[in-house]
Amino acid sequence: MSNLKFNKSHEWVKVEGDCAVIGISDYAQGELGDIVFVELPEVGVKISEGSSFGTVESTKAASEIFAPLSGEVIQANNDLVNNPQWVNEDPQGKGWMIKIKVENSKEMDNFMDEVAYKEFVDKESQ
Amino acid sequence: MIALKTTPLNLRHTQAGARLVDFFGWRLPLEYESGLKEAKELRCSCGLSDVSHMGEIKIKGKGTFEFLQKLVSNDLRLIRKGQLQYNLFLNQDGGIKDDLMVYNLGEEYLCVVNASNIDNVYAWLKEFKNDEIEIINESQSTSLLALQGPKSYLVMESILGKKLDDFKYMHFIQENVELKPALISRSGYTGEDGFEIYIESKDACFFWDLIMNKGADYGLKLCGLAARDILRIEAGYPLYGHEIDETTNPIEASLGWAVKLNKDFIGKEEIVKAKKNGVEKKRIGFLMQEKGLPRKDYDIYAEVGKTPPSKVSGGSLRPVDKTPPSKVSGGSIPVDKTPPSKVSGGSILVDKKIGRVTSGTYSPNLNEFIGMGYVSIDFSKPDTPIKVKIRDKFYQAKVVNFPFVEAKK
Repeated sequence: MSNLKFNKSHEWVKVEGDCAVIGISDYAQGELGDIVFVELPEVGVKISEGSSFGTVESTKAASEIFAPLSGEVIQANNDLVNNPQWVNEDPQGKGWMIKIKVENSKEMDNFMDEVAYKEFVDKESQ
Repeated sequence: MIALKTTPLNLRHTQAGARLVDFFGWRLPLEYESGLKEAKELRCSCGLSDVSHMGEIKIKGKGTFEFLQKLVSNDLRLIRKGQLQYNLFLNQDGGIKDDLMVYNLGEEYLCVVNASNIDNVYAWLKEFKNDEIEIINESQSTSLLALQGPKSYLVMESILGKKLDDFKYMHFIQENVELKPALISRSGYTGEDGFEIYIESKDACFFWDLIMNKGADYGLKLCGLAARDILRIEAGYPLYGHEIDETTNPIEASLGWAVKLNKDFIGKEEIVKAKKNGVEKKRIGFLMQEKGLPRKDYDIYAEVGKTPPSKVSGGSLRPVDKTPPSKVSGGSIPVDKTPPSKVSGGSILVDKKIGRVTSGTYSPNLNEFIGMGYVSIDFSKPDTPIKVKIRDKFYQAKVVNFPFVEAKK
């Protein structure tokens, strides 16, 4: 089992010390379909929990990505700009999006582990 | 809620793992695995699609030729029995009621119309008919399969057990396969060589399985609507409801080649006028110069020279927007805080809205973002720089000739 945590809007978070890596879940990429465009914030930008920090576009539609946590962006996966298909191929690995310095780790209290998230997705897709 | 119609092949699609989508009241496969992959693979080998939602309307009876010749924009005298022709139904104002294929069956004609327009066209045809003309909507009892791609002829040769060297594009044959009738035309909507196969709905699964079976040796892939949309955009083909509708005329739509003025037809007067006076807008293709996906109804802008006013205020010609957070990838932010970008010859260059996007996609065969749209005629020449406004930012693009991807016919 991975050490990723998930929220209800299908983002995942991986905590590394006082930082967190953020991406979208395998379920989310599957729902979006072929991803052809990714737009991410620049390093230094402050993002706040629940607000949009970027855009992914699949052939079907454009979707905003919502910040699961508040904090300052310290790294962005700019390789995705030229390789947006990585979000489809490896959403929880090569398809990571940003790394932030976590402001308030309490925001993670309601996150689900992988098992709980899978149950949540199964229920939602019924 | 209205129940969605399904084609006879619905079970085949779900078994193949298709993601289904509502398309004008039909439940159809959007993609099986990946529309991008399907569109790419079709251009390398071949692909099979269920397009049974299309409408088939047969016209027969005494005077069928004269009746139809009066309603379509193209000249039916140019197709003999066994040939098909791209055509348009126009309204009195010269607007496009539908685009269609007309098959010359000899005594009868078959009109293949868009799924979204079946009822509309059927009612419209009936308005003009006399008692001797019979108009039959065969859409329910007819299924349509599209076998497309450079290797599709090998699959078809294998099915029919004969060489097809004499089977020319825009021609059709009528064959029985194991006593099941099929009308097969060498035609399609992908820009590649290919076949469109009209069969009785009760035989749809038989033909589907046969094609899948014979196609396995040639790398045949299933292609959903997503792949078909990519392929037709790459080929520069218009889609009803996107590039063409009752408010666009064929001259604007760059479909003047499908209008013949040496005959009479409904809507002709307006087309003659449009040709004489010129049109204000034109359908164009454009290639994005920055990464950005153009979608239907996005606005198209261009930089135009303007004599500087005493003071730039309000920026009426520039969209005013809140400054979005800066982003890594392309696109420039059209806000008035940015200084008037360029000054040339005493006039300021300002962004002016010149049109709108009608279709756009990422092209997996070109690895570029491409689109179609209407722009005012002054900006319709190839290589003209334009900008597409995507989520409050401008992305550079340029006008290009059709097709985006060269057909291999």
